[in-house]
Amino acid sequence: MRTLAGLGRLVRLALRRDRFRLPVWLVALGGTIVGSAASLPPVYPDQEAIDTYASLFGDNPALVAFAGPGHGFDDPNIGVILVNEVQLWTCIGVALMSIFLVNRHTRQEEDEERTEVVRANPVGRHAPTAAAVLVVAAANVVLAAVCGVGFVALDYPVVGSLVLAASFAACGLAFTGIAAVTAQLASTSRASLAFSSVALGAAFTLRAIGDISGSWHRWLSPIGWSQGVRAFADERWWPLAIAVAFTFAAVAGAFWLSTRRDLGSGILAPRPGPARAPRWAIRPEGLALRLQRGPLVAWMLGLFTIGALYGSIGQDVDEMIEENPTLAEFLAQLEGVDLADAYFATTLVLQGLLAAGFTISSVMRLRGEEVAGRADPVLGGPVSRWRWAASHLAIAGFGTIAVVGAGGLGVGVAYAIVSGDAGEVVRLVGASLVTVPAVLVLGGIAVALYGASPRLAAVAWAGLAAAVLVEFFGELLRLPGWLRAISPLYHLPGVPAEALRPAPLLVLSALAVALVAGGLASFRRRDIAVR
Amino acid sequence: MADVIECIGLVKTFGSTRALDGLDLTVAPGEVHGFLGPNGSGKTVTMRIVLGLLRQDSGDARLFGGDPWQDAVALHRRLAYVPGETNLWPNLTGGEIIDILGELRGGIDVRRRDQLVERFDLDPRKPARTYSKGNRQKVALVAGLSSDAELLILDEPTAGLDPLMEAVFQDCVLDAKAEGRTVLLSSHILAEVEKLCDRVTIIRRGRAVQHGTLDELRHLTRTTITVETREPASVLAGHPGVHDLVVDGHRAGFDVDSDRLDEVVSHLAGLGVVALTSNPPTLEELFLRHYGDELAEAGVDADAG
Repeated sequence: MRTLAGLGRLVRLALRRDRFRLPVWLVALGGTIVGSAASLPPVYPDQEAIDTYASLFGDNPALVAFAGPGHGFDDPNIGVILVNEVQLWTCIGVALMSIFLVNRHTRQEEDEERTEVVRANPVGRHAPTAAAVLVVAAANVVLAAVCGVGFVALDYPVVGSLVLAASFAACGLAFTGIAAVTAQLASTSRASLAFSSVALGAAFTLRAIGDISGSWHRWLSPIGWSQGVRAFADERWWPLAIAVAFTFAAVAGAFWLSTRRDLGSGILAPRPGPARAPRWAIRPEGLALRLQRGPLVAWMLGLFTIGALYGSIGQDVDEMIEENPTLAEFLAQLEGVDLADAYFATTLVLQGLLAAGFTISSVMRLRGEEVAGRADPVLGGPVSRWRWAASHLAIAGFGTIAVVGAGGLGVGVAYAIVSGDAGEVVRLVGASLVTVPAVLVLGGIAVALYGASPRLAAVAWAGLAAAVLVEFFGELLRLPGWLRAISPLYHLPGVPAEALRPAPLLVLSALAVALVAGGLASFRRRDIAVR
Repeated sequence: MADVIECIGLVKTFGSTRALDGLDLTVAPGEVHGFLGPNGSGKTVTMRIVLGLLRQDSGDARLFGGDPWQDAVALHRRLAYVPGETNLWPNLTGGEIIDILGELRGGIDVRRRDQLVERFDLDPRKPARTYSKGNRQKVALVAGLSSDAELLILDEPTAGLDPLMEAVFQDCVLDAKAEGRTVLLSSHILAEVEKLCDRVTIIRRGRAVQHGTLDELRHLTRTTITVETREPASVLAGHPGVHDLVVDGHRAGFDVDSDRLDEVVSHLAGLGVVALTSNPPTLEELFLRHYGDELAEAGVDADAG
């Protein structure tokens, strides 16, 4: 146990460092989950409403991809709706929490050379990783306990409530293990986060394929294990054992990997780079592109892949409607609308929300550069603040078009293949670009906040979270129109199902420009952050 | 010629902290100006105001006669800045960063850059995250020094460098001076300042407490004298300007205020000098005198310095 010496003290250190961060994660996630659970019974007060929900959601592949397999829809109860509404998103939420927290206490500590100071004390080789895993695992268990108690208090059946809550913790644990492994593989915290995020994306995609086709793919995904507990249907506990066993194996793997590498380096070593800067990088715009190139390409590939997943099931929407009279009746209200197009209009909005993640993180690059002190040497040269900020914002703006377009291209290419109509590619890429002005408004909020103060900039993520909430839950929770209108994407014409209306696009574009201009104006008037 | 940097009565507060409290600083063209002060005394804040990265609450800052906040871009074309805490882009190589920072400034002298990379013994192919503190500092220095800027603003540039590299750095500053360039060098390495600087400004708690040439400042302090005389030197006791006199037969040791040196030495001549050594005051003594009370608070004897 010498390799774990100092574990207790490191756990206390982690809890001390995260004394605000951990409660914020737990309250935000727990509050959202229990709040969603509380909002469902009033919306589905009787069996008739519950049956209607089940028949609407039951076999729709697009909804299955973004909700889950729908266990129990053949004999539905309110608990099954709860699972369908919150389980997948909660799994993603706890996975992200686990990935960020584990990375913060492992690879990021190493990057900032604090691990060295810690390990120079009588502290075992595996103690820092073990402390991170223990703290994050505990956070997952506490969150699950809060959710379980909340569900039971809201009168959901007890067994189903507990197994559902436990499934959240299981998913969080699995990603705790995955993040511990990627921290050993990657040589930087950024790369470690990227590897973990790819694992999360793969987990989502595998279970989406598995849930739509009913195939074995879902058993390759930690999210699939959590969904496999079939809460409120015919509950079973054994899929949780897979997650726990996987977590132990992953942490043991991380320990083993850490003995194969030097402190501060990764298993995957970086290659020596160029000794000279390329000509194009030697200007603020080039430097910004050079710095953001990697994330931009990763986002484009990610959106293309997700788009292709959506596009590939576009053909099934028609067939599914034929088999589902309730849904056909529901969609018949949308007269003269092609059903596949109605489906694409929804998925393109979802992709727009994902792309906003790129836009905001790209704007946040300004904050990162400034706070780390890397703006100083550039602004200390003959580079105006306006030009420095604009160079990064240009990447954010054009990058948004590229990322959204890549998503549309994925949908178009996949749908063109399954429908045999090559013309779909251009049509769907065009339709995807309609979301760009709304996405840029979300980015513009980030610029306006950053311009006022680098500390405020992170609040922009709350803007995206609000947009996601009203887009996903607006219909379900019957939110009033004015509340749903806070999402810029709410105002978009439902292209390709509806005709293109230019007015909202112009208004959104003008709003984005105004936000950026306001942000730049205040940025030019304030101090550059002091470390 | 007009001063390159001229700050009058700079005040800058961060919340309740008063980082600068009426600071004056002037740097003349062609001089190497030492900017001395302990950690947290306001050196970096002053430099960042001079660069227009911060705006003073009151007071006036002039750079090449212009307003550093309004005319930042034009003024920055004429200077090179090496920040104290060098944060480099972790995924770019040292070579890339040197090129980017140098060229952003409007071009670097490629020959000089290659020479500097060699003189500082730097491997430009490694990503910045793999560099040690000293190597990161070298990257920043090479980027700054390979420019042909009129003014070099160097914020504690030798932090983390080994003595060999420190010597290389000092040569580079002397080269810059020989080329007629102006240097503002903040430091708390006194030997470095003594070797390089024409004039110094000593700053304390956001105020300049002393400024002038090293010679001028030396006049404000004491010279240490050890002397052997034919007549015992005990008559010096009580002589104005003589301190800490120790007489041991024909030998004596004492400190003398530098502005009284002349009369004390004439007095000694009357006693018949056999041997005499004098040690000029060091900047260190000067420095310690100004921070003596802070040291005393910390339990250190200033005179023992």
